[in-house]
Amino acid sequence: MSATRVEEARPPAVTTLVHRVGRTEALLFALALIATITLIITTHGNLLHSDTIRAVLQYLAVPIVIGLAQMVVLAVGQMSLSVGVLTGLSAVVSAGLMVDHGVTPWLAVPGALLIGALAGLINGLLVVATRINGFIVTLATMTIISGLRYGVHGTGTYDGYAPGLVKFGRASILGLPTVFLVAVAVAIAVAWFFRRSVAGRQLLASGGNPLAARLSGISNDRSVVLAHALSGLLAGVAGVLVLMLSGSVNASIGDDLLLPSFAAPIIGGVALVGGAVSVLGTCLAAYVVRLVDVAQAQYNINPRWVDLVVGGVVLGAVMLSQSKDGTDET
Amino acid sequence: MTDVMAKSEPEALEESLPAVQRGLPWWANQRFGLVVVITGLVVLFSTLRPSFLNVDLTLVPMQADLSVFVVVGLAQLSVLSLGHMNLAVGRMAALSAFAAGLTYDRLDAPLFVGLLVALVAGALVGAVAGLIITATGISSFVVTLALDFGLLGLVSLLYAGFTDGVAFSVHPAGMDTLRFDNMSDYCSGSVCGPPIPLVVPFALVAMLAVGILFRLSRVGREILMTGSSLRTARLSGIPVNRRILQAHALSGLLCGLAGWLLAMNNGAFSATLGEQFLLPSFLAPVLGGTLLAGGAVSVLGTVLGSTLTTVIQKGLNLLQFQFDQLQILIGGVLLIALSLDRVRHVIAERRGVRT
Amino acid sequence: MRLRATRLVKVFPGVRALDGVNLSLEPGSVHALLGENGAGKSTLIKILTGVYKGDGGTVSVAPDDVAWETVSFGNPHESIAAGIGVVHQERNLVPAFSVAENIALQHLPRKRGIVDRAAMKARAAECLQQLDLDLDLDAPVSSLSVAQMQLVEIAKALATRSRVLLLDEPTSTLTPEEADRLYRVVAKLKDGGCSIVLVSHKLEEVFAVADTVTVLRDGRSVCESRPLADLTRSDVVDLMVGRQFAELEPDALRNPQRTGEPALELDAVSTGRGHREVSLTVHPGEIVGLYGLVGAGRSELARALLGLDRITDGRVLVRGVPTTISSVNEALSKHGIGYVTENRKEEGVFLEQTISRNVAVTIWGRLARLGLVRDRAEDQVLTSYVDSLGIKVSGPRQLAGQLSGGNQQKISLAKWLAADCSILVIDEPTVGIDVRTKAAFHQLIVDLAEKGLAILLITSDLPEMVTLADRILVMHQYRLTGEVDNSEHRYDVASKQVVRLMHAESVA
Repeated sequence: MSATRVEEARPPAVTTLVHRVGRTEALLFALALIATITLIITTHGNLLHSDTIRAVLQYLAVPIVIGLAQMVVLAVGQMSLSVGVLTGLSAVVSAGLMVDHGVTPWLAVPGALLIGALAGLINGLLVVATRINGFIVTLATMTIISGLRYGVHGTGTYDGYAPGLVKFGRASILGLPTVFLVAVAVAIAVAWFFRRSVAGRQLLASGGNPLAARLSGISNDRSVVLAHALSGLLAGVAGVLVLMLSGSVNASIGDDLLLPSFAAPIIGGVALVGGAVSVLGTCLAAYVVRLVDVAQAQYNINPRWVDLVVGGVVLGAVMLSQSKDGTDET
Repeated sequence: MTDVMAKSEPEALEESLPAVQRGLPWWANQRFGLVVVITGLVVLFSTLRPSFLNVDLTLVPMQADLSVFVVVGLAQLSVLSLGHMNLAVGRMAALSAFAAGLTYDRLDAPLFVGLLVALVAGALVGAVAGLIITATGISSFVVTLALDFGLLGLVSLLYAGFTDGVAFSVHPAGMDTLRFDNMSDYCSGSVCGPPIPLVVPFALVAMLAVGILFRLSRVGREILMTGSSLRTARLSGIPVNRRILQAHALSGLLCGLAGWLLAMNNGAFSATLGEQFLLPSFLAPVLGGTLLAGGAVSVLGTVLGSTLTTVIQKGLNLLQFQFDQLQILIGGVLLIALSLDRVRHVIAERRGVRT
Repeated sequence: MRLRATRLVKVFPGVRALDGVNLSLEPGSVHALLGENGAGKSTLIKILTGVYKGDGGTVSVAPDDVAWETVSFGNPHESIAAGIGVVHQERNLVPAFSVAENIALQHLPRKRGIVDRAAMKARAAECLQQLDLDLDLDAPVSSLSVAQMQLVEIAKALATRSRVLLLDEPTSTLTPEEADRLYRVVAKLKDGGCSIVLVSHKLEEVFAVADTVTVLRDGRSVCESRPLADLTRSDVVDLMVGRQFAELEPDALRNPQRTGEPALELDAVSTGRGHREVSLTVHPGEIVGLYGLVGAGRSELARALLGLDRITDGRVLVRGVPTTISSVNEALSKHGIGYVTENRKEEGVFLEQTISRNVAVTIWGRLARLGLVRDRAEDQVLTSYVDSLGIKVSGPRQLAGQLSGGNQQKISLAKWLAADCSILVIDEPTVGIDVRTKAAFHQLIVDLAEKGLAILLITSDLPEMVTLADRILVMHQYRLTGEVDNSEHRYDVASKQVVRLMHAESVA
């Protein structure tokens, strides 16, 4: 007896591929390609100078990682306002350890990661315990962490720490900046986490259909805590990258990282309701925004226009993705 | 028709009981509690630093700050009534202040015309948010968050385009009076007014208006019902879309007022105005017992909540706490307030189940 | 695995949802669970699936078909672990995940924290093969049709080693071909030794597919695990709706005048929801009943009438004048139409607001002076209805959610009476309300009709319908199949006619 054929008509191969990769990602890839080529042409090849490429990629590293930090909580349908300031805190504490207490970078760097992860963990636990929208909870913790940054060294700057680390941070391997390579490695790790690890799949299940997840024995609370902890860890990584690249840190680091942390995943197609991630989309979106920055510098466009455009695109992307889902009112 | 597996009435009853037990007794206690805490803190601070009670040094500036933050809290309260949020309070204030500043700068407008412009600008932006929410069905959280991003760039751009770079430094007639005078400067004979800054009456008017709206007016009641249950409200004949729009417009209008008042206090209209508004806008109502879920608001509670935060800030300032340490404490206060809310909820739940 | 529920009891405030229900499941059978709405089916299922805890009686299972052990489930997960699977009416899958992953979600095969994809697909393929299904294992579930998703859920139940599978109205959204395919799969499960519990209102399907039947009525099992072959369709219907006649008190003195203009008339109305050519009239003083099954389209018709859904064809006439109604507000203020919703907790009553506000919500416009409303005015309105409707309250500031179900329903009704409606649509007025309050409510509705209101009554409680309605219209799949004259309010006569009209399509 032949099996009950349940397939409806198979769509053409191209559509399947695009469907697999994701429509947004394909669009973004095309956009990135077009934008890159356009910039190359209009700058008469300036863009292809090794110096320019290095600058572009170096300053792409932190936006990628910070975008991933936000993406991880978006996956469970949450948001974290504290990713920006947490980056700053990790960087400042780490630098403080090295400068004020002579701690070796081999300990100070993991220290930064630890702080990030710990703060993220606390965020997650608070959200679960108070059962309140993560936005408000992280609004409170963001305020706290924001203040804590200044508690390390006031408004002073740390520099001259671990010259070896900074040299490494500013170096390039095979023409690609080390910080960029670290960011890429992190991106690959995050992608792997969500695609292959059990914890990652369970996290996505919690975000995609909390009831189905619960019935399958998955703890939604645990997923939320894990997501926030991971987000904090990634913010810590971003802090380390800042440490490595800039060579001098102060307490104001992270103030301008909040918008990029949202812009990258949102433009990259990650839904605000949770359940889906797109590492590729987030990275591509960060890249596109970076290109916009390059163009702004190149053509002396008022940077405020960039802010406006990015803000507007985020608004549009959110509205588009939400109205597609047809969300009901609060 | 209810399907077989839909919530049958008894189950829904069990679930609704806990929330419902959160009734009147808790309200009264909370506001009373706030008064107690505020009084206690005032005593504490003035003992530690007698200059806390110094009229010119502390009390007057504190009232000026308080006026702004009370209005900010009311702006958030306006949408909390619906169970919504306005995450763009800061930018709405900045945009409205810009409009006022522009009017003063380019049109040489009198003081109150500028105020009017700020109010209208704020109301319009708020209405836009409300419109997007009712037209697309997207949550207020997302819409106002995205709006905040969008307005961020717009505001800097506008200021960059129309001012010397960062701010309007125009001083319309009356601004200095508002900024520096208080009622004790006005005497008739030998009786002078109390040391209350002239910005305070604006906040009082706002309090009164919002209080009357939600306590006595039909529109306010309908907004609260919409916040309580959107579906029931619609099926009871309440024009829900119109009420949502009105609540958000009100929020925007109050942001405009707050922005204008802050500009008056600072003596300048700048792009960074309102940056510090977001946290206090939630803190005041939450401390004051307004539910995040909608359906019930407390204007008095919001005022007391703002007072508490302002007292804390001023007191710690005098004790020479740094700004950052203040931040930590204020954030901590919000977290504690949120946790207490949860504890209250859990206790009420236990009570409900036992009866 | 065999399963037995013995003298199950479940009590809610004021309602005895289950009053000694017995159920006995044998492996390798398809067991139909039948009963009208409110009979207790969903409560029984919720106890079996761990959503509720029973208040009395026991549930026992014999995993090896021999040794019995009593079980008690604290949550749905425990029930699944015990081998009881359920496929609800709403889909319960993770949209972004593949078919294979959804099937295997409960026990994702893993090697040191990493998902073992090969093993996962193998497991899923095995389940699909057992059901003779051919689905693309890698396809994201969001790309499947509703029918396919349902099959994935059944495969999922297999993966979790369910020995008992509860199917709740499985074919309510399927085409006949998809339903056939579903039942072929169900047959496979049965052959594999599973016991299937089928909850369905579609008697044709039940008779085609099931071999055993249990009928619930008023929280009791009036027919316990009998072979379906022993019963005819009309036997089953009798069991489902049968009542002791002593309970009914038809008011034979009622004789509504059907002269003059109807207060409300629908003339060949079609809606965006699928209604086609619905025509009815309701005269002042008349109670017109609209009877039908789950999903027949009755509440949807009411909603369309109130402007909440599109009317695509035909006319709506209020007191002889053709009108278009675009909102509930308009229906109320311009035409005096009120709608007492079926879902009082979520749509009829503001649980967290005071009862005085609940009652005055429809008349604030009238009560307001300069836009302001005085509490005292609200309280006066409340008092008059507390008295006339006999609502038990402790004070005007009491929150509506603290009232009993019956009193809440009265509050839900009071707000429309306060608004002086002349036309009332009442939807399932006595669901989950105890018998005594039910009777009081019925008297209330009759009194309203006597006062001259035109009432359109929607209910699936047939005895209630026969007690109250002067004429009964039967709706089936968004069309009216006929009308029964109920002026004598005789249950034995009317109920047979109504049920016959309901299954009219299947007779053909």
